[in-house]
Amino acid sequence: MEILGLVNYALYMAIFIAIYALLALGLNIQWGFAGLFNAGIAGFFAVGAYTSAILTSPAADGRIGGFDLHFTIGWIGAMVAAALVAWPIGKICLRFRSDYLAIASIGVAEIIRLVIKSEAELTNGARGISNIPRPAGDFGYMESQIAYLALVLGVLIVVYLLVERQFNAPWGRMMRAIRDNEDAARAMGKNVEFRRLEAFIFGSALMGLGGALFAHFNRSITPEAIDPMVATFLVWIMLILGGSGNNRGAILGAAVVWIIWSVSEIATDQLPHEYAVQAKYIRLFLIGLMLQLVLRFRPEGLLPEPLRGDLNGRGRNTKSGPANQ
Amino acid sequence: MKTKVLALAASLMAATALAGAPAHADVKIGLLGGISGPIAAMAPAMIDSAQLAITQVNEQGGIGDGEKLVGVVGDSACNPQNGTDAATKAVNIEGVAGIVGPHCSGAVLAAAGSVSIPAGIAMITPSGTSPEITTLDDKGIVFRTVPSDDYQGRALARTMKEQDYGKVAVAYLNNDYGTGLANAFKAEYADELGGEITQFAAHEEGKASYRSNLAELAKGDADTLVIFDYGDGTGLTILRQALENGFFEKFVGGDGMKSEAVIDALGAENLVSFVASSPVGEQSKSLDMFNEAFKGAGGDPDAIFATTSYDAAFLMALALEKAGGNKDEVAAAMMEVSNGEGEPILPGEWKKAKELIAAGTAIDYKGAAGDQNFDENGDVPGTYALWEVGSDGFEVLSEMK
Repeated sequence: MEILGLVNYALYMAIFIAIYALLALGLNIQWGFAGLFNAGIAGFFAVGAYTSAILTSPAADGRIGGFDLHFTIGWIGAMVAAALVAWPIGKICLRFRSDYLAIASIGVAEIIRLVIKSEAELTNGARGISNIPRPAGDFGYMESQIAYLALVLGVLIVVYLLVERQFNAPWGRMMRAIRDNEDAARAMGKNVEFRRLEAFIFGSALMGLGGALFAHFNRSITPEAIDPMVATFLVWIMLILGGSGNNRGAILGAAVVWIIWSVSEIATDQLPHEYAVQAKYIRLFLIGLMLQLVLRFRPEGLLPEPLRGDLNGRGRNTKSGPANQ
Repeated sequence: MKTKVLALAASLMAATALAGAPAHADVKIGLLGGISGPIAAMAPAMIDSAQLAITQVNEQGGIGDGEKLVGVVGDSACNPQNGTDAATKAVNIEGVAGIVGPHCSGAVLAAAGSVSIPAGIAMITPSGTSPEITTLDDKGIVFRTVPSDDYQGRALARTMKEQDYGKVAVAYLNNDYGTGLANAFKAEYADELGGEITQFAAHEEGKASYRSNLAELAKGDADTLVIFDYGDGTGLTILRQALENGFFEKFVGGDGMKSEAVIDALGAENLVSFVASSPVGEQSKSLDMFNEAFKGAGGDPDAIFATTSYDAAFLMALALEKAGGNKDEVAAAMMEVSNGEGEPILPGEWKKAKELIAAGTAIDYKGAAGDQNFDENGDVPGTYALWEVGSDGFEVLSEMK
């Protein structure tokens, strides 16, 4: 029983880590490759989650949708919708540089959140959409978690291989060239605006996919899930800690941060009973402290960006972060 | 890579599991609440009142053969991510026999969908008011001790129609609470009873001025403004600005508006035309017993959702006792201990309940927040009254049906 419980908990954590790893990979394309400071992850996460929810949930009164489609269509739809939403946003906002883009993208995420809360005909408003089918959800507790983990891991591996391939391809080198020296890249004849937009859309589509996986796992999606703390900033912490510019770093960061976030609660529960409520805040502190320590002592992250991105990640020559050169 | 991550996860968990090997005689229930996050101010009182129920159980003989009932507090942070995380830990690491919480509807839906329904662990929320919880395909294991927003909204509409309120405008806060109430109100008032709603508008919280919203709401000559919001937040601003500018003559609020903050800020003399609907504990003996016990434990019995939290925890304990420690039967037992038939059990009467259960007598819990008789969806009907502002604060104007 105890062991089974631990296994169930580990399965659950692995599923969440894989979902967050998708978000971190999406952000890695935007920030790690292209240097785009997107602080609106929650927005694209939400677009993906709701799109898939609308496409796959059973028909319901009072709102569009409930198309009851297969979940694969929902997941593909989530990526397409997130990409479509990202296109005009990128077209307008990517003219801004770094911090201005961050402000604009926070605003965009907030707009998306308010639209979702207000357009009840589309999203059922603040009540959210429930009864979303979970693939392989009819099995027992542990079996369905294993099946879902297998699905999510499959998606993550495919995404990782594709992104890694892009990173090592000429496209990846070009993106880093644009990131590190825009003028030089432009002088080489690269269409900087278009390439930036490409990276932005590509990354946003992955975030949408992450949102869809999240909604199906919980069998529901509500606006409460679009909280910037857990859907934007936690992802940023994961990428910075894992190592921006390194896809494995993004995945490792997701794992480390989520494990600390989740397991620290078990640790703080060992405090005396009277402090049960106060103890919950310790983990917020822990996450903040961790980010501070990483930024202070290892700004390039746990797995820094490989200087020459060869396929096997050999050549451990590193440099310390995007802003260095 | 993945194996490394999993190995890391496993070793971390093994370490914590070893660190906290508990005494095995305890029966644990999870108390999941939005301790951090948007309802951080409300959560401590809710957790405390649930803990009071647990303390009473332990003082009066404990569960089963004198085993200790332990409440394991988890932080659901009012969002689905942390809600599922806390529920997973409670069920798998702590091995709880039932879950009291989480507090916010979104967290309830997610935790039910991904943890408690698949795992078959009974869950009872003291404050998840979304009507979505009613329609959840939950195999009968999700309960709540707070009425659905749908119920209050409809009851308010019926009462207002009865009292001849004519054309009304509705302003509601754009979250699940405000939207839920407003839509239920609209469905009953306009669609069922044929009343006229001239304007129906959501607003966002935290703005300094709502005068433009109010000007918009005032179009259509309604003399009554119905506000579904919180009286210690945005609702107060709206009420103040509506009074200052004379947009409306009469004001009606939902239970969130029945806040002392409204009287403190605006003064009772300005609120003669203001009424609010709110649950009453039927002014029952149950409520008195709870109030006394909670005051004795250093709590504030008027804190929002304190009564429902207490009832949820006490009901969970009764169901556990009835199920004889069998987790799979807790949900069925929950239905049996509070279905309106049997020997009445009031808050704190654990010893009596325990003896009756042992003797095989049917019992019926009469809670602090109402009778808590579950329907087939695990919902409870509420007991609401319309409150007006008197010289000593809020006073009951009339019962609502």
